[in-house]
Amino acid sequence: MRPTLAAFRGGFRAEVQQLRRSRLLLGLTIVQAVTFLVLVSIFGLTGSYVPTAVVDQDGGQLAHRWVTLMQAAHHTYGLRYMDAQHAQQALRRGDVAAVLTIPPGFSRSIAEHRMIRIPFRVDNVNADLTDDVERGIPSVAVNFARENRLPGIRVAPAEADLVRHEADFVPYLVVSALALDAFVVAGILAATSVAREFEARTVTNLKLSPIHPLVPLAGRLLATGAASTAAIAMTTLVVVAGYQVVPAHPLETAAALLLCVIIFSCIGVGVGALVRRTLPLTALIFGLALPLYIDSGSLEPARFDGNLIWGIAHTSPIYYAVGILQYAVHGLRVTPETVTLDFAALVGWALLAACGAWLGLRRAVVA
Amino acid sequence: MTDKGRLSRRLWAFPAARERRPEAGQTNAPVTPTEVDSDGQASPEGTGAALVPPVVRLLGVSCRRGRRVALHRVSMDVAPGCVTGVLGANGAGKSTLLGIITGLYRPYEGSAWVLGERLPARGAALRRRIGVVLQETALYEELTVEGNLRFTAALYSVPRPDRRIEELLELLGLGDRTRDVVSSLSGGLRRRLTLARALLHEPELLIVDEPTLGVDAEARHAIWEHIRLLRARGTTVVVASNYFDEVQALCDTAAVLHDGRLVVHESPASLAARAGQCLDIECEADAVGQINDLLMTLPGVSRSQATPSGLTAFLHGDVAPEDVVREVLQHAHISGFRVRAADLAEVFRVLQPAQHGATDQ
Repeated sequence: MRPTLAAFRGGFRAEVQQLRRSRLLLGLTIVQAVTFLVLVSIFGLTGSYVPTAVVDQDGGQLAHRWVTLMQAAHHTYGLRYMDAQHAQQALRRGDVAAVLTIPPGFSRSIAEHRMIRIPFRVDNVNADLTDDVERGIPSVAVNFARENRLPGIRVAPAEADLVRHEADFVPYLVVSALALDAFVVAGILAATSVAREFEARTVTNLKLSPIHPLVPLAGRLLATGAASTAAIAMTTLVVVAGYQVVPAHPLETAAALLLCVIIFSCIGVGVGALVRRTLPLTALIFGLALPLYIDSGSLEPARFDGNLIWGIAHTSPIYYAVGILQYAVHGLRVTPETVTLDFAALVGWALLAACGAWLGLRRAVVA
Repeated sequence: MTDKGRLSRRLWAFPAARERRPEAGQTNAPVTPTEVDSDGQASPEGTGAALVPPVVRLLGVSCRRGRRVALHRVSMDVAPGCVTGVLGANGAGKSTLLGIITGLYRPYEGSAWVLGERLPARGAALRRRIGVVLQETALYEELTVEGNLRFTAALYSVPRPDRRIEELLELLGLGDRTRDVVSSLSGGLRRRLTLARALLHEPELLIVDEPTLGVDAEARHAIWEHIRLLRARGTTVVVASNYFDEVQALCDTAAVLHDGRLVVHESPASLAARAGQCLDIECEADAVGQINDLLMTLPGVSRSQATPSGLTAFLHGDVAPEDVVREVLQHAHISGFRVRAADLAEVFRVLQPAQHGATDQ
């Protein structure tokens, strides 16, 4: 047992030394976790508002009120005042997705309860934005009509929230992004550690040693796992301190993230043993991570994406990780499965990934 | 190491090695007859004619690398305490042969014994008795010299690794580079470090694949010196090389491989005698024809070949080059001459007729 422990410890120590020597790689990998978080937030901030030009040719109080109601439409319009000529140019250039023109005499027509047309030109290159615009305008019109007691409008919403509190889009995204970060950071570090052994042919020395070659490799992977955990811990601190998103259940958050590091380290090991070269690893891990991330309920609960995507999402560990993390941080239940079941699935994934990594590595190293 | 291990090492490896080691240049009887057990299994102990069992015994070993047969029915012994050279051109099967001895490759035919154990039964105890210097340096580039050795010490459970590492680094002239990162080392220093790594656990059998590949003359001689030192201490060494002069300088016996077949296994001195010598003659271009014709009439000259500065005459081992030069000078003018050992190509040319069927059994 002692030689095995010595070899395991030797592998761990060698990897720590190697990581200390590759400070730039380690630093950039950790920074990458934070930049991913920021990138996802920026996507949330920019992608959820339709840039819209407003050409107010009326200038009256009611025209101003219309614009105010548009601005208040939840997560729909990013309004900018422009004159007609600039608005058309901006639309052609793609600076704005829509131009709303409030025609002259708008306020007078409304005051006299006369019908008036509001021209709205939409660049429908993106169906998502076009849908937002189409959904937003009727709600603005209804609110406007109710305020001005226009005839024929009777709206009385009786809203009952399913969830007691709401999480804003960006805080929702950054929590999901932690799972993606774990994939990227743990995956890259573990895959690099394994691929490096093949690239430098040092794996042959391990094969020739009296100890089983997987023992020192396991020691190495423990070191990369520790580095990944540190990176994720730092990213979580950024979420707490920078985004003011404080986990409601810190222990569950930590456990879910630790399981993510284990699972994605194991996936990284498999990729590293398969590719055996360090150069394509980062691109490959990113390529694997992003589809899993997007299709696993990271942007919104996966069940809203249709049955097919929801079904596919069940095969991904990120689905369960996001389920636990959204509950642990925001108290939201985004999966129909219970948190306990999500945990069980994640532990199952961890065991499966560990077995897969062991088999893959054994096949690559020992065979 | 267990007491039993220590005892067995002391009893049959080192002292026997000292007794049996031939002087460099002296022909060593390499292949001892093999006893066959009652169950038909060949035994590494031999007939009893040899007092000490060989450290490595290969009997009709064949091995494939991919679809290609890289080694074809090779039989040879490595005597304890000797430096055995495995000589051959690129792709001759040298690395495959070493791979079989180290346990990296499995033969599909034949039997192999290493340090008394029949392969492929490769236990931890056997691996601990073998040191390997691979063709590639295979070092951890980001680690220091000491870091690389520490890692190896952990793999081999080297007792008191600090002292052993310090000792080896001093011995190999790396004492002042302990904290240097491997990526900053020259090719020669890396080679020395790989040698240090292989010696860290004091192996009884050292396998070295191309020890001086890509190193300068100074480093080459330093590495040779260390291998000689190991030989003096009783370690059995198997060296694969492309260079005949390296094998001549280092080895007690040389096994020549060609196209995966063992052509001959004998002392480098007798190999050199077979290959003869090369006589490089410098002369004017218009005298080349005349000298060539003259050389072809002389006994002991196997052939001659034009070179940019004149021609090279290939002499049999028993011919004195001075006599040939004297003869040439009587009939033609030459501006200089040089005598050198035959190179690997010439060794192969001489051995060509003996190649096929040399070890087919």
